Amino acid sequence: MKHDFSKLPEIFDRYPSAPESLIAVLQDIQKEYNFLPCHALEETAKRLGVPLSKVFSVSTFYNAFSLNPKGEKVIRICVGTTCHIRGSKQIQQQLENLLKIKAGETTEDGKFSIEVVACVGACAMAPVVAVNDEFHGGVTVANVKRLVKTNKKD
Amino acid sequence: MVSLTINGRVVQAEEGEMLLAVIRRMGIDIPALCHHEAVEPFGACRLCTVEITKESWNGWKNYVTSCLYPVEQDLIVHTHSAKVIELRKTLIDLLLARCPGSPEIREMAAQYGVNETSYEPVVNGDNCILCGLCTRICSRLGFNAISTVGRGHTKEVAPPMKEAPPDCVGCLSCALNCPTHVIKFTDVNGKRTIWGKTFELLTCKECGATTITREFAEALSERRGIPMEYFEKCDACHRKELSLTMGAVVGWAREEQS
Amino acid sequence: MRIETISQLKDLRKTNLERMNKHPRTVLICCGPGCLANGAKKISDEFHKVIKDKKIKGFSVEALKETGCHGFCEQGPLVIIEPDGVFYTKVKVRDVEEIIETSIKKKEIVERLLYTNAADGKTYTDYKEIPFYKLQNRIALRNIGKIRQCDIDEYIAIGGYEAMAKALSKMKPQEVIDEVIASGLRGRGGGGFPTGRKWATCAKIDDEPRYVICNGDEGDPGAFMDRAIMEGDPHSVIEGMIIAAWAVGSHNGYIYVREEYPLAVVNLQKAIEQAQALGLLGENILGTGFDFDIHVSRGGGAFVCGESSALMLSVAGEVGEPRAKYIRSVQKGLFDKPTVLNNVESYANVPVIIAKGGKWFSSIGTAKSTGTKAFSLVGKVRNTGLIEVPMGTTLKQIIYDIGGGVIKDRPFKAVQTGGPSGGCLPEEKLDLSVDFDTLTQAGSMMGSGGMIVMDDRTCVVDVAKYFLQFLIDESCGKCVPCREGLYQLHALAVAVSEGRATEEDLDKMEKLSENIVIGSLCGLGKSGPNPFLSTIRYFRDEYLAHIRDKRCPAGVCRALITYKIDPEICNGCMACISACAHEAITGKKKEPHFINQDKCDKCGACYAVCQHNAIEVV
Repeated sequence: MKHDFSKLPEIFDRYPSAPESLIAVLQDIQKEYNFLPCHALEETAKRLGVPLSKVFSVSTFYNAFSLNPKGEKVIRICVGTTCHIRGSKQIQQQLENLLKIKAGETTEDGKFSIEVVACVGACAMAPVVAVNDEFHGGVTVANVKRLVKTNKKD
Repeated sequence: MVSLTINGRVVQAEEGEMLLAVIRRMGIDIPALCHHEAVEPFGACRLCTVEITKESWNGWKNYVTSCLYPVEQDLIVHTHSAKVIELRKTLIDLLLARCPGSPEIREMAAQYGVNETSYEPVVNGDNCILCGLCTRICSRLGFNAISTVGRGHTKEVAPPMKEAPPDCVGCLSCALNCPTHVIKFTDVNGKRTIWGKTFELLTCKECGATTITREFAEALSERRGIPMEYFEKCDACHRKELSLTMGAVVGWAREEQS
Repeated sequence: MRIETISQLKDLRKTNLERMNKHPRTVLICCGPGCLANGAKKISDEFHKVIKDKKIKGFSVEALKETGCHGFCEQGPLVIIEPDGVFYTKVKVRDVEEIIETSIKKKEIVERLLYTNAADGKTYTDYKEIPFYKLQNRIALRNIGKIRQCDIDEYIAIGGYEAMAKALSKMKPQEVIDEVIASGLRGRGGGGFPTGRKWATCAKIDDEPRYVICNGDEGDPGAFMDRAIMEGDPHSVIEGMIIAAWAVGSHNGYIYVREEYPLAVVNLQKAIEQAQALGLLGENILGTGFDFDIHVSRGGGAFVCGESSALMLSVAGEVGEPRAKYIRSVQKGLFDKPTVLNNVESYANVPVIIAKGGKWFSSIGTAKSTGTKAFSLVGKVRNTGLIEVPMGTTLKQIIYDIGGGVIKDRPFKAVQTGGPSGGCLPEEKLDLSVDFDTLTQAGSMMGSGGMIVMDDRTCVVDVAKYFLQFLIDESCGKCVPCREGLYQLHALAVAVSEGRATEEDLDKMEKLSENIVIGSLCGLGKSGPNPFLSTIRYFRDEYLAHIRDKRCPAGVCRALITYKIDPEICNGCMACISACAHEAITGKKKEPHFINQDKCDKCGACYAVCQHNAIEVV
């Protein structure tokens, strides 16, 4: 897959070229490309003066980063305690069956990814499902079908 | 100087020393799988845990890893109390569940009376106990070729992108210091392969034995200012040359005296 | 427009207050986490659009305010009309025009949008009278839901940054520390360490530079207090940090925000820029000669980074693997320099402590746990939301008087506090005072403030299993007791939930837990077994039912339950057939349906959708 790496210098320029900028830089790269391409990791190592092994270590330690492209729409199911006791597991199963992928995977057409998140801080509206930056509260097994349908349309 | 009690004996120690150093100096043997003199203490294996207390603590005890705990005046330390032994037994039992096939772990477990693990064997475990010695030593040597990848139970040691590590020089420090001998390498036909990367081994001009990799030699040469020619001889031949030279020097000294 | 002196700040306050008072009647649209997830933005947009179009005399869009979390999330989306406190609940976009016509053009009420208390049937107009609000004492949350969120002008208008001005100009650093010590403030992140003492220790260390960090990594599932503060009143945190920096002699601060809170990052960044523009952050603050600036540091997504040493490593761009605490972070913290780390809510309390005095603060709450605490009251409780009560309030008061009791009047089973490091407290413990030490003695802990209510349909074995799974996923993996020990403890909990365990296994779990507690490197591991230890302490019988009778009394553990449709009740509506993802239910329309146990996955989807109570869990 071809990527436009000309964006990288602009990302690097946003932060001081020092090791402490590593996580912020990786987050911006993740946002730009929807994952962390190998080449971007190599360039980051050079620019920030951090060993490549460390860049890789940080990329795989934190939940925010993925080494494989995520879908256009990332469906995040909150599996925090409140959502859990209000039935997030059933919703996860329903979504996995509807999209025919498991949590952590992406559909073949690259349109959807399913992820589980420990808590997004909207506990009063449990169960919560987020599609990219849009949050939906009070999700049920019944209305999650509608949610997927609406998102398939765009 | 600091005065403290270990297993009932009063000992002196330097301010800033870690308990483990003092304990070892006294000849007391406690395991410390993730410990190595060349790198900072890590506190990962927890096997060197000891029980500490002070008279002013009114019977309250704490359990700390001796590799990382600095000596304190009037500290009372027990290296083999019942709770500590039980902790070590549990730790080794857990490690045995992770690496049931490791002879080194089996041997250590047998010493604690654990012949089979009481837990569920880990499904995809290898014999790596994640002590971190390989990555820490590699970092200390300045190569940073490998690191820990991932987090938690599925954490592993691997090169970047799980491909041949660009920064590895084939020095073998990782493999030779691994407590469970997990890191494999081969030296065959003048070539060394480790972490999926192949290196050319230099040979001694005198006796033909293989010495170190070209990459390692170049790194040492660059960093320490050692001329590359030095690496054209193996250690044995260097020593031979040195002993001949020293022999000559001793000879001249005797001549001068007489 | 920089403010160069304290008297200029006073002038700005006057100007801003006058401007605010030009709009005596305001509409507050709650944009807290819950309401936001429920469409608050669309409601706000509609308000703005309609007000602009209608051109009402004496009322402009400037009187519309998007605020932080007002608190009563269960009733959201919320719209409040001040100064009367008219409280509209479950507002929809199509209600906006009616609200404007009725309550803004005229001063009348839209009756159907008011709150009715299920307990006594009373309908309330003014929110301040509602028991949910009346029983609270909002100090850390004082501004949230009242002022426009992330607006420095409103913050200054109501007295913001005056405490900072007082500290910087009239108090020596040691006096600030003494005031905080006198307040008795203890860390609101859950550790409960005396804040003043922490600052005092740091101030004495002979090393430079020093750092002040705010821990915004609220990782406990079920907790969103810090999120509400960071989004709804970021200036209170900034002001608290400046005061802390003055006290310990720091010139550089960081706010570490978890990756899962993008809006908090945006609002904090915006607030910092507002403060910098006015000269309240940066060099020579208010002409006092004191320099201090704050950077927002984004987390990468790791619960373990809520632990102080891991957090500091993460700020430095490393993996968040905690270090042993024998050398404290006040001495060697960020970049190995003296660092003060405090929680969001702790900082939010500081300006009030300086303004009103430590003695005033210590007069609230209990002797050893002074002040108030914010909680996110969630789970199977009627009135879910964000609350703040004096320390010493009982669990019963919180769950029943404020919370309105368990939903659908089901029997109360337990309340979980302290997140994954905490525990479950049963009905017998409802009279316990909520304070640091009482909760710890009872086998739970205060934690950051998540309070999750559970009913009889919650299985404690399932809860223990859930938390252990969470901890395994979030463990950094460095030390053996946590990485391997919690993994095995979880495996044993799974065995219990599947009816495969023996009573010896329970003993094994208890012994293993003890060793994980002693042996672990950091707090995550040390408190990891708590979900199991607290539930086995109070609900041993439930564990034994799983083991001896191979039965799950709460009807949750899949291996031990069966879903059955009662043919007498089932009216054949086919709702369950649509919901079933495993094609396990058969039946024609208007005829009783039947679950094929061989295909049934026990997911409970059918039970969730059945409107006729025709499905039972056996």
